[in-house]
Amino acid sequence: MIGFWDVYKRSEAGPFVKEQEFDRQVGAVAARLVAEHEIHFDPQQVIPSDDALADRVFAAGLALFLELGIYCRDTSRLIKFSPEEVRWALQHAPRTVTYGQGPDQRVMRHRSVEDPLPPFCLNTPVGCTVAEERFVAMVQSYAQEPLSDTFSSAFSQTVGGRPIKSGTPQEVEAAIWNVVKLREAARAAGRPLIGIHNLISNAEKTDATLAAIQEEFGAHPNDGLGVAAIAEMKADYERMKKVVFLDHKGFNRYGLYGPIMGGYAGGPEATAIVHVAHHFLGLLAFGAQWHDGFPLHLMQGCNSTRDLLWLISITGQALTRNTHLLIGVSPFTAAGPCTEMVVHEIAAVVLAATVSGLHLNLAAVARNKLPERSSGMEARIGAETAHRIAGQRITRARANEIVHRILGTYEAEIPKAPNGKRFDECYDLKTVRPTQEYLDVYERCKERLTGFGLDYSGL
Amino acid sequence: MVLFEQMIEATVAGDQERCVSLARQAVEQNVEPLEAIEQGYSRGMSIVGEKFSRMEYYLPELIRCADAMKAAVDVLRPHLGKGGAGGSKGAGGGPGTVVIGTIQGDLHDLGKNIVKTMLQAAGFDVHDLGCDVQVRRFIDKAEELQADLIAASAILTTTMAYMPDLVSLLSEMGLRERFKVMVGGAPVTPEYAEQSGADGYGENAAQAVEVAKGLVLADRGGNSR
Repeated sequence: MIGFWDVYKRSEAGPFVKEQEFDRQVGAVAARLVAEHEIHFDPQQVIPSDDALADRVFAAGLALFLELGIYCRDTSRLIKFSPEEVRWALQHAPRTVTYGQGPDQRVMRHRSVEDPLPPFCLNTPVGCTVAEERFVAMVQSYAQEPLSDTFSSAFSQTVGGRPIKSGTPQEVEAAIWNVVKLREAARAAGRPLIGIHNLISNAEKTDATLAAIQEEFGAHPNDGLGVAAIAEMKADYERMKKVVFLDHKGFNRYGLYGPIMGGYAGGPEATAIVHVAHHFLGLLAFGAQWHDGFPLHLMQGCNSTRDLLWLISITGQALTRNTHLLIGVSPFTAAGPCTEMVVHEIAAVVLAATVSGLHLNLAAVARNKLPERSSGMEARIGAETAHRIAGQRITRARANEIVHRILGTYEAEIPKAPNGKRFDECYDLKTVRPTQEYLDVYERCKERLTGFGLDYSGL
Repeated sequence: MVLFEQMIEATVAGDQERCVSLARQAVEQNVEPLEAIEQGYSRGMSIVGEKFSRMEYYLPELIRCADAMKAAVDVLRPHLGKGGAGGSKGAGGGPGTVVIGTIQGDLHDLGKNIVKTMLQAAGFDVHDLGCDVQVRRFIDKAEELQADLIAASAILTTTMAYMPDLVSLLSEMGLRERFKVMVGGAPVTPEYAEQSGADGYGENAAQAVEVAKGLVLADRGGNSR
């Protein structure tokens, strides 16, 4: 077996490589492995049913991980692993993760391709920037959704009226405030014991994170934290410090990976195998109990494009067919809240993910860029759609037919997607309930999606 | 000129060996080096940039083509002064000098590296300070290099908050008129860029290059240094 301190030791003693050289190796090695493993993106097979292709993507991802290793930015050294070490880690990876307590305790389990078990729904505005006075209402809108298994944070523009700057005393204050307010939102939602899967999303420095994740501020034992790799295939001591803390404190942890399609790896096929490799990084270097991917399109900043839907599906199939890992994905849409396009984009990503064995982190909208553009309705749309898809036992082949029809509604609009409405235009802030306008948008889209083959009648 | 067309072709193909060989040929034939860069390699890189914007090329191809062009420019550079390119700014007599980095606290450099590569391809002399660059360091390096432009990127909201500090510190140091400031990155919007007091904002790398060119040209037209 290999433990964290073995990883640390290798970060100090592994082969020295300049970062620029490593970045170039990622693309070169990925391109070679794509050719060797005959991995091909077919735009007509957005959700492929080809098990052999999925297995080749897995094999190529593993080969890439073994060849490149993890780049440690602090030491410019490679942390490398043997095939036996990776195999051991995969065999001993967690089979379940428990979030929350009491009536709101939820257990995440492994899903398989075309699994009727609904995806675990970790609902969150994904750090969307929001005014301080609306922070609690925004995150409450996620926590109160009945299908939210856990929830997490928006990003308050200020705390105590002061902007939050990385590395300052204010960052520590803001991180503590974040935990306090998340628990306050859970109580306001009537779910005081719901799990918070990522307690901190407003601190880059680890000291602020560690200062804030304390029981007296509202952190519960089954809450957790995301530990993010630096794209592509990199880690650093700032992230590894969190691992040590989590080892001692026992909070849940997940790995967070955002490879960029069009970036260092190259095209969809190369980025797919790099994405698979990131899961080994998270498992071995971070001790991740589960894994959340947010692969993104370099130019569009979303993953609802045709090539990213394929990437999400094939990497999900690759990992869930060949391991018992718990894998999730975060849908990122181009359009913003209260638009038909956002409903369609979420449905497309959720469809690709659900039939491919993935869990869901719902959802980053308006390219996760615009302030105030996020609401619990997007989580509702994603979670309800996912539960129905699993319940319908839709096959990948059928899902591929449906996703083409959904893509037809928005694909050409992605570069000029509507920003949508602000949170305070989507929700009544006094009751924290969605507006009739947004409910009507969703109803119209459900009718259209039903026509495409999804069945919302069981809701 | 056939030679220029060959340079364009070799650059678009990312064929470093061929790019260098053509540069040597240009030197032997007494072709004006600046013209070779502008009419050959830079035009090739413009095509590469367009292909990258359309995602016909990905970052590995962009880097390979930029490396090929750089190797050719390295051959031509020693001969530039002879052709009367003295006084021009930037590599190969390009549009100007840029100091670039991700701002204080920010470790995510993919976007910055793409912008850097595209700026270099457009002929800018780019000095990359890397990641997590303190505001003061941007300014010190820009002063040291007599740069035209400071370009800062952020991918996090907590690090983006340092962008207004960059502009305000320039003002406090009496250097605000001396350097143009450009910002970009995932959470940065045009509105935020304006609020920060920056002169320019790039939604993507291609736009960043155009904005950088515009800022430097406008500056040369409007300011005497």
